[in-house]
Amino acid sequence: MASMRGRTLARALRSNKPITPMTSSFKPATKINQPLQSRTHTSVSADELSHFSGLASSWWDPMGPSRILHLMNPLRHEFIASCLSEGTTEANPNPTSANLHYLDIGCGGGIFAESLARTIPSTPQAQAPTPTRAASMTAVDPSTDLINMAREHARMDPAVHAHLQDGRFRYLNTTLEDVLESKIGPVGSSEAQYDVVSLFEVLEHIDPKTSSPLGFLSNCLRALKPGGWLVGSTISRTFPSWILNQVIAEAPWPIGVVPRGTHEWSKFVNPPEVKGWLQEGLMRAADTATVRGGAEQVKGMQWKCVGAIYIPGFGWKMVPGTEDYGNYFWAVRKGV
Amino acid sequence: MRPISRSALRPHVCQTCRHGIGAGRRRFASQSGSPDLYDVVCVGGGPAGLGLMAALRASPITSKLRVALIETQDLTKAQAWNLEPTQYSNRVSSLTPSSVAFLRQIGAYDHLDVDRVQDYQDMQVWDGQTGSSISFDWSMETSPFEDPRTVATMTENANLVRALLRRIAQSGDENLSLFSNSTVASIETGSDLKPEGPDLSAWPVLSIKPTGPSESTPKRIAARLLVGADGINSPVRSFADISTHGWDYGRHGIVATLALGDLDIPPFPASKRTAYQRFLPALGGPIALLPLPNNHATLVWSTTPENAAYLKSLSTPSFLAMVNAAFRLEMTDLSYMMGMSSTSDISHQDELTWRTQHTALPSQVPPPATAVQEGTVASFPLRFRHAAQYVSPRVALVGDAAHVIHPLAGQGLNLGLADVASLSKTIQYAVSHGMDVGDLITLERYSSERYLPNAKIGGACDLLHKMYTVPGEGPVAWARSLGLGVVDRLPFVKSFLMKNAEGY
Repeated sequence: MASMRGRTLARALRSNKPITPMTSSFKPATKINQPLQSRTHTSVSADELSHFSGLASSWWDPMGPSRILHLMNPLRHEFIASCLSEGTTEANPNPTSANLHYLDIGCGGGIFAESLARTIPSTPQAQAPTPTRAASMTAVDPSTDLINMAREHARMDPAVHAHLQDGRFRYLNTTLEDVLESKIGPVGSSEAQYDVVSLFEVLEHIDPKTSSPLGFLSNCLRALKPGGWLVGSTISRTFPSWILNQVIAEAPWPIGVVPRGTHEWSKFVNPPEVKGWLQEGLMRAADTATVRGGAEQVKGMQWKCVGAIYIPGFGWKMVPGTEDYGNYFWAVRKGV
Repeated sequence: MRPISRSALRPHVCQTCRHGIGAGRRRFASQSGSPDLYDVVCVGGGPAGLGLMAALRASPITSKLRVALIETQDLTKAQAWNLEPTQYSNRVSSLTPSSVAFLRQIGAYDHLDVDRVQDYQDMQVWDGQTGSSISFDWSMETSPFEDPRTVATMTENANLVRALLRRIAQSGDENLSLFSNSTVASIETGSDLKPEGPDLSAWPVLSIKPTGPSESTPKRIAARLLVGADGINSPVRSFADISTHGWDYGRHGIVATLALGDLDIPPFPASKRTAYQRFLPALGGPIALLPLPNNHATLVWSTTPENAAYLKSLSTPSFLAMVNAAFRLEMTDLSYMMGMSSTSDISHQDELTWRTQHTALPSQVPPPATAVQEGTVASFPLRFRHAAQYVSPRVALVGDAAHVIHPLAGQGLNLGLADVASLSKTIQYAVSHGMDVGDLITLERYSSERYLPNAKIGGACDLLHKMYTVPGEGPVAWARSLGLGVVDRLPFVKSFLMKNAEGY
């Protein structure tokens, strides 16, 4: 117990420090050809970056520390499919071909990005094999170690490797802010506009003290086409979730299922907070140099939220109404 | 935590192909290209392997997967299999209703020749030592207005294999390769095809060569998922370095196709068929008579290797007399007849007739066996095996490669089909959720679904075998008769058991 308290204290001290994005641990990220000055508005905290880069080697071990994420991944596909069934960016009411462009922010080692890239058909515009109907996937993460490892892992599947080669699947070692500023769009497009933007297990890693979730979510919405979906999953900041995610999940083996220090309860966000930020974000995303977005931006918005519960031995299950107990999926659809 | 991927996949060369390995290696090294890539490669074209292929081809989700099957035998011959309507193969299996449901679901049941298939609605099981019995009769459970429920369906394996092959053929040949008359010369791990190509260092790469004399270079194929449906000595299992434990029962199963006479009391309703099984503790195992169409039946008699050799050496009339005696006489009589010299003046038939006059026959005696189909008497050793695990990265085991059990409950093939149903469901789930079908995280769904049920059924058959091979009177025999008596008298326990037996 003493060691735990010591650790928590150390972490608290660390996070009180003003964090500048250009700390030494962040340097490898500058390897890519991006203008350095664009990095000043980033939502990435150096603390989180070093924690996840340290997990790189075991990221794809199905029995390793990221096992719980691997097990959750199929639910992400199901959640996206349920969103798309309510409408997409397309006018066609019953689309079947694979023509949705995805942007995955904070892809980490690529658990979701690679699985989605696997569903991209080998010939463009073909009949979609899954309800997620992916045409392309652009995955970004600020950690160089994780991006390199993700690319290395993707090479181990020839089908995914082929998409990496033809450009319909990309791993970019960059941030969301850079994507918007450098106008990195889907293949064949010069606008940073996507049909689906995903944000899985990212919100709870944004430090509210140094960065604003509102600003970050506004940027996510800027990358979205009208009628497109911003989907994510995160953890709520309630007493049951503190017990589940801090006390039980990060407990020593054999009880714990995630590595110590993965989560910080104070960074967790509740569904009403996310919804509020998104409503505000939709208006901000509509801001232009001359006109400010107003309440009309929120009118066409669709909001979805469903809790997900992990039962050891049975796996993950979506259970509506359990949003406050811990993990939940949320999604917002930009008005057409 | 288990280290996975590359290190777990060790190169393996199957034992029969060790020779010429050096030459093979050199040839591979000089081969420029990458191997042909497949999503699912199944080694073994028995009912389990073909069932998997048919299931994958039948589902719209998995029908686009690139699949291959490798079989030593000639699949064209198996698909053209044909036998006279009065002749039946001696390799027969009993399909539980859930196996039949699976075959219907994948559209294979329609290809079965139903004239060669026999349902049975009643099962009589009794102990030859104590006489206690249990009757599995669904007519108690169903109303007189509906058809009696089926306990199981008897089919020749060849009929089932042909149906599965027809079903696969019906799905077309797009994305499908059937390597018939072919063996797996070696299984190795692939290599990293840097800088342009993918990294196949965690993929099993098989080299396939035709059986018989052939000078052609082996074909190399890489498998996203390699399925071992290759039987008890599975080469796929040795490649994946999965250990297996078990024992030999020291028993042989004798099979034969028999023609039956008529029952003294005709069955009611007339279509009702019964399977009979009598445990013979003194002779080392049960004898079972399972119905086939046209008043034929298939025999499965588990006994010691000595008894098996003796029975196989008998003339046809003597063999028939022994079979009929085994369902009628007491243990002492049977032990005596099993030792009768085949050159003695008194025939087995005379001995049976004389001894039957002095024996109170049990009520559930099957109709007499009247003829043996020529060339159908055969025997095979009985064994128990269970693989330590069913999956490893990019490898899954199904059917006999994963488990071999005592045949006394006729569950072997059903467990294999249940494996295949579960694995094909797992693959469907993986494909529809963007998972790699060869990943351990995918495959563990299959193994967690099948390992325990298979262990349970295998263990139950093992326990039954052990209880019913304790000869003579004594605590074990009392416990047996008490157990069966209780089960037979308590309808809810029996109904529960029957529903379990009907499942898998």
